[in-house]
Amino acid sequence: MKSTKFSPMTQEQIDKKWWEIGNYFRRNSLWMLMYCTGCCAIELPPAMTSAYDMERLGMGPMATPRQADVLLVTGYLSLKTLRRLIYTYEQMSEPKYVVGFGSCTINGGIYHDSHAVINKLDQYIPVDVYVAGCMPNTEAVMNGFTDLMGMIKNKTARGWLDYKERNDWYKKNQLDSLGEVLVHDEFHE
Amino acid sequence: MNFASIEMILMITLASGVLAYLIGKLNAKLGSIVTILVSMYVTIAVIYFGYNGELVITTEYLPLVTFKVTNIGLFFASTVTFVFAMVSFFNPFFIDKYKFKALYSMLYIFSLVGILGVFFTDNFMTLFVFFEFTVWSSMFLIPMGKSTKSTTLYFAMSTIGSFALLYAIFLMRSQSGSFDIDQGLAMVSGAKATWTYILLSVAAFAKLGAFPLHLWLPKVLGDAPDPVTAVFSGGLEKLGAFVAVMGLVRLAPVSFNIGAIDMDFARYVIAFIGSITIIIGTLMAIRQDDAKKLLAYSSMSNGGYIIVALTIGNGIAISGALYHVLAHAIASAAAFLAIAAVARKTNTTKMSELGGMIHNMPITYMVYLIAIISMAGIPPMGGFISKWMIFQAVINKGLPIIAIGVFFGSIGSFLYVFRPLAALFLGQQLPEYKHLKEAPFFMVLPMIILSGLIIYTGVLPNYILGKINEIVVDLGATAVTITEYTITGFNGTIHPALISGMFGVGVFVAFLIFITFKKSKKVTLMDTYTAGEFIYTEELLHYSVDFYAPLERLYEKYIHIMEKTYDSIRNKIAEVGHFFKYYFFTNKPEVSVFWIVIIVSLLLWGESLW
Amino acid sequence: MVVNILVGLGVALFGFVLQTAMGGINRKIVARVQKRIGPKWYQEFIDIFKLFSKRSVSHGWIFDFGVIMALGGIIATAMFMPVTANIIAFEGYDNFFIFVYLLAVGMLGMAMSASGSGNPLASIGVMRALTTMLAYEVPFMIVVMTIIKLTGGTSSVSEIAAFQQIAGNNWFIIALPLGGIVAIISLMGMLGKKPFETYIAPAEIASGPMVEYGGKQLGMLFVMHEITVFIEVSLFIHLFLGGAATLGVYLLKYFLVYTALNLISSVYARFKIDQVVVFFYKWPLFMAVTQAIIAIYLGWVI
Repeated sequence: MKSTKFSPMTQEQIDKKWWEIGNYFRRNSLWMLMYCTGCCAIELPPAMTSAYDMERLGMGPMATPRQADVLLVTGYLSLKTLRRLIYTYEQMSEPKYVVGFGSCTINGGIYHDSHAVINKLDQYIPVDVYVAGCMPNTEAVMNGFTDLMGMIKNKTARGWLDYKERNDWYKKNQLDSLGEVLVHDEFHE
Repeated sequence: MNFASIEMILMITLASGVLAYLIGKLNAKLGSIVTILVSMYVTIAVIYFGYNGELVITTEYLPLVTFKVTNIGLFFASTVTFVFAMVSFFNPFFIDKYKFKALYSMLYIFSLVGILGVFFTDNFMTLFVFFEFTVWSSMFLIPMGKSTKSTTLYFAMSTIGSFALLYAIFLMRSQSGSFDIDQGLAMVSGAKATWTYILLSVAAFAKLGAFPLHLWLPKVLGDAPDPVTAVFSGGLEKLGAFVAVMGLVRLAPVSFNIGAIDMDFARYVIAFIGSITIIIGTLMAIRQDDAKKLLAYSSMSNGGYIIVALTIGNGIAISGALYHVLAHAIASAAAFLAIAAVARKTNTTKMSELGGMIHNMPITYMVYLIAIISMAGIPPMGGFISKWMIFQAVINKGLPIIAIGVFFGSIGSFLYVFRPLAALFLGQQLPEYKHLKEAPFFMVLPMIILSGLIIYTGVLPNYILGKINEIVVDLGATAVTITEYTITGFNGTIHPALISGMFGVGVFVAFLIFITFKKSKKVTLMDTYTAGEFIYTEELLHYSVDFYAPLERLYEKYIHIMEKTYDSIRNKIAEVGHFFKYYFFTNKPEVSVFWIVIIVSLLLWGESLW
Repeated sequence: MVVNILVGLGVALFGFVLQTAMGGINRKIVARVQKRIGPKWYQEFIDIFKLFSKRSVSHGWIFDFGVIMALGGIIATAMFMPVTANIIAFEGYDNFFIFVYLLAVGMLGMAMSASGSGNPLASIGVMRALTTMLAYEVPFMIVVMTIIKLTGGTSSVSEIAAFQQIAGNNWFIIALPLGGIVAIISLMGMLGKKPFETYIAPAEIASGPMVEYGGKQLGMLFVMHEITVFIEVSLFIHLFLGGAATLGVYLLKYFLVYTALNLISSVYARFKIDQVVVFFYKWPLFMAVTQAIIAIYLGWVI
């Protein structure tokens, strides 16, 4: 006969439990950092204001990467911007998520043959959700956000863990494209 | 030979001043160590014998000098000698920077002698002589710092104060017939009382650095050697407060009574000037770049509080003022010492050139933090108790115009005390200072003692308030109601220990919350939000120049008004001189002779004219 | 004593829960003003707990210590706050000046921590916060001085509230109309509502003092902010709106005051920092002094 006495959870199980509780809070309060690099950024004002009102999902704009949970990359990334994007991404506090907007972040979009613009964002930083389109509908943007929430719930939004685990790979890609992530130009001694 | 005699203490101190000079000639460091020993000895002797009631006042050797131990004298003497003793620990570390090393040690001790004489005498002439002794010995300490120009200014302003004091003494003597302090203050009456009141206020203002005689204070405190600055702000300035107690509280000026607030007009004017002092001190402190000058202006504004409280003159106000003397003395001494400790390592006190010193000197930082909390009047430090009492007095009297100054200074003090904290101690750690270490133990020790005392005066003020109550009763006001832990003012009761205890509880709870959650990742100071920009130079990320620029812009047009006023007064005097020169001292001798005859005959006739 | 401390901590917790809920409700109300649906009413709780669940960064010991000191100071202040006439932890010690100055400990802690992060924007934010404080505090304190004088000399917040409940005495917002207006404007400044939101200014200085915080430190600052708002709004209720005899009345007054301020704030744009100072030292100070003079010397009180 099985004993009915209380069996204490292992530390791992407790952590898991806490993580699930944390996930509830995290998905219901996504604070965005908008890295408005391209034209897709124009989809954010209707998403934020009375037309679609993302605040009802608990989302809101934040001022700095330290406070934000999700990084929105809204459009093409030139090499100069990519450096800064990586710097910004690394400053965010964990767990952190990335949403790529428009075809530019997926495959370069209309800039696919430009020498100054990168084509695939997920080579450089892990992207959890892509919102396709050139540019995407606001409905698509909102759908992307709900998708991200679902992924957080299912624990599949693992991009930030991936960035830790495969850091060498990401760093290698970054260096291949950029030469180096840091910049030294006339403004910096 | 009686070692508990004031005369003996004075003479031993005087002799060791000479001794310090001689030893200092052989070895400067040893000479400065004598200053530590002597000032410690004086402090311990004054406090121990004084509060055990064992001080002997008879004089055997010094002619014409009479002593008297009063509660107020004892209070001031123990405060100021304590500050001297604490600051003296810094002397050996700074002595190498001075040109006249032996002289420095001697003058340092001599100013202590002067202080003792002023606080322990019952005779106006003795008081005046010792007062001047302090002024002169401290005057020669100033030029050992950055510039000699400020000494001139100090001398000029001090002279105004000294002459005012002397005239006041003569006025009182003309009525009481003796130089006795108590008699003089008690017997002066009528219009002469008002004049004495004004003259003593001028003397106090000159020493406290109150408006409009404030110009010397920032210059002197900014330029004097670092330990001397601490002594000036924590000790010598308090001479002014002592004179102010004599004049503002113990004299009753008779001009006319303002009915609505039941206050004499002369008192109201002085309170108003005190309030202006607070505002000017605050505004000027906000815009200083030199940390020492900033604290100097803060001393000025705190002097304003003392003046306002003393003019109101009831029990709460006087205890507030006296407690403020103590709280500000130790807090400003601690703050100046902290700045001095930094300046010794970096050779600058300019905030725009410093940054991130907290990472090198954490203890100095904590000392400065505790000191400024007290200076800003925030619980649980001593400054809160005194400011609370002064607020009560102002509110109870119902003085909205003066209250503007009082509240403005109180909130404004948050602004200026925070600036060195942010620009000098916090912020980016500048590379040229990365290798610096914490100050040596014997510099840290006095700072820690001062900090401990600041906390003590804020948490358990009642023992000291009990002593102050004795003074308040001596001065003829009603004592403040205090129990073992609580203080009751006009508008309610506070329990400082409870406030501090609850602060402790709050911090404990916050700490629990803090450690419950995930540990933070350590990052460097340069890894900071820059809107994605890469910045490698610390200076670019350090906000320290023109800290309050938007606020400063609002009043920077008006800051030189006083200097300009003095300049124009000087020009006017010169014009008058030209006028006399033109009419009386022409190259025609007969005109000069004519005027001389006229004036002499007027003078001869003068007795009946007057 | 232990009971009192627990009651005090209870008041702090109550203040946190109340203000956090009110904050959420008000976000909803403001959303409705802007024709939006708005978040859940408990959105602010979710935000705060989410912040606690994140892994933050730390810029050295002063960065953490300042946050602890900030929250500790604010909790300590809230412990002295009376809620109703009966719910008060330390009876007789709820002196007005304790609130003003103990609040400053928390502010100082936060300022210290923000400057300790080494970010210039944080220092600018602190500079603006202190400057704003210099602006709103003086008129407000002059009005409170008038109140203390009129109550016959008590600065105990609960006694001032009790004084207004005596028959024949009006609430001070009615008795001192000019002072009431000044107090409302000052309260807007205290709460950092627009148009006095200069020191947060997300679009301008990246949320000012909070620029470097994330995770638990930001969460603690949010808790601190909620309790601060609770203290300031409660002070206003007790000093100007006659306090509260029962909890229900208190909640109602709290809701009305806070919502009204939010509605005012939702239609304003932001002042520049020097405009804030000039504004407060022009009309509010003038009105406060006028009010003090006519109330204290002439005795004209409605």
